[in-house]
Amino acid sequence: MTIGRRTLIRIGARTLAAGTAALDLISVAIQTIVGSLWSYWRGKRPKGAIARQMYFVGNRSLLFVLVTLGFVGMVMVYQTCLLTTKIIDGRNQVGAQWARLLVLDVGPSLTAMMLATRVGAGIAAEVGSMKVTEQLDALRMSGVTPVRYLIVPRFLACIVMSVALSMFGMAASWGAGGLTGYYSFQINPRIFFDLSLVQPSHVAVGIMKAVAFGAAIPIVSGFCGLRAQGSSEGVGAAATAAVIGSSFAVLILDVLISFVAMVALGAGM
Amino acid sequence: MDAAPFISMRGVRKAFAGKPVLAGLDLQAGRGEVLFVVGTSGVGKSVTIKHLVGLLRVDAGEIWFDGRRIDDLPEHEMSAIRRRVAMVFQSATLFDSMTLAENVALPLRKHGRLRAAAALAEARRRLDEVYLGDLADRFPAEVSDGVRKRAAIARALTLEPEVVLLDEPTTGLDPINARRIDRLIRELADRRGVTAIVVSHDLNSIFSIADRIALLYQGTVRACGTPGEIRASADPVVVQFIHGHATGPMETPGF
Repeated sequence: MTIGRRTLIRIGARTLAAGTAALDLISVAIQTIVGSLWSYWRGKRPKGAIARQMYFVGNRSLLFVLVTLGFVGMVMVYQTCLLTTKIIDGRNQVGAQWARLLVLDVGPSLTAMMLATRVGAGIAAEVGSMKVTEQLDALRMSGVTPVRYLIVPRFLACIVMSVALSMFGMAASWGAGGLTGYYSFQINPRIFFDLSLVQPSHVAVGIMKAVAFGAAIPIVSGFCGLRAQGSSEGVGAAATAAVIGSSFAVLILDVLISFVAMVALGAGM
Repeated sequence: MDAAPFISMRGVRKAFAGKPVLAGLDLQAGRGEVLFVVGTSGVGKSVTIKHLVGLLRVDAGEIWFDGRRIDDLPEHEMSAIRRRVAMVFQSATLFDSMTLAENVALPLRKHGRLRAAAALAEARRRLDEVYLGDLADRFPAEVSDGVRKRAAIARALTLEPEVVLLDEPTTGLDPINARRIDRLIRELADRRGVTAIVVSHDLNSIFSIADRIALLYQGTVRACGTPGEIRASADPVVVQFIHGHATGPMETPGF
């Protein structure tokens, strides 16, 4: 067999594998959404499963999100003030602009990136270890659909908690930014904490992003867990793939939603 | 024992990542029969029995159960088959986040449509039957391998299946617990007419309770017969396997 033919076969096999994986991902997404909308709300949900997952996704990630977004707020405000004071003294605008940016983009996306690392890896590792130890097969033998049982509660919990954590994260980031502005650049808090640039449409776009990110993380991570193979090495690979895949999904959704919002609401959004 | 093929695999082929595991496998089991599927590690024994409940799908060939072809059934229709055919997995596979009672109650709730409280009460009764009543509220991580295995068997039997598939049920157990499990399998077949298809390496089990033994080799059934017939076989592959000789004609992956 010639090298060219072998390369062609290899490319074909990889394309086929990627296509199959994409179809599997779509299938997991559809099963998750249908499972949430129908059977789940008909009372067929495991008792307390959503509350448990909300605790894991929300409460256990709160400190992580607050600290990260708080530091991001401090750094961003410090750097922006530094630049604006050098070029033109526009530091009085920093608080209002930072609030607009936080609501519209930075708050939901950074929170989702944090969730992708912490929650995404956890979901993939848990589902993946159940896969390699045949617990998923045992679930199917017990009449339970693994996606409905494992991913749907995480999906619903993640959507709710992504919105909630984004709000807390934004508050932390804005607050930390305000403190930085006051102590480093003597910006009056009354001027910094100004919400006049935040429109209701910005809040709507921010919430839409938080919901979309919260939905994508458990679907992508659950999908990675369901594809785990072998032993602990396979579970590790699934967790890594989940973090990369979820982060990538967050970035793509961020671009898409921003683009749609810009088209719908105008460039001055 | 009914000689009619209650379960039948015909020309089953299965490959993983292009590597063939089953290469035209034919296997039958009758009602109330205890059939042991034996062979070296990695030969495809677990793969074979997972096809019988749709956990794996054939690449080619047919699988028939009680006069009905089942290899082409969609996932949601396999549920009815899984109610009649139970499986005990190799590593017991109890759900870590559930107590033993909750593990046993799960099929009762999902397949048996019992409410949570009724399913739990029934699960406790089933655990009592296998002398695990005192451990019903323990989590799998808190009990021994033998207890986990017995609880997994109790879970598999909750719906009173017609067929039980057991994947290495005595592996990792002490000799006393292993013989107890053998006795349980034999009693299921003799008293309740349950068909048992057992994957095993345990020669003691194989020759003490099997009605028939099927030796898998290179993706097909190399030999199939009663324990007496297998013992008397002159096939060098069969002879090497049942005597456990390190050298011989068998090709084993990795050696």
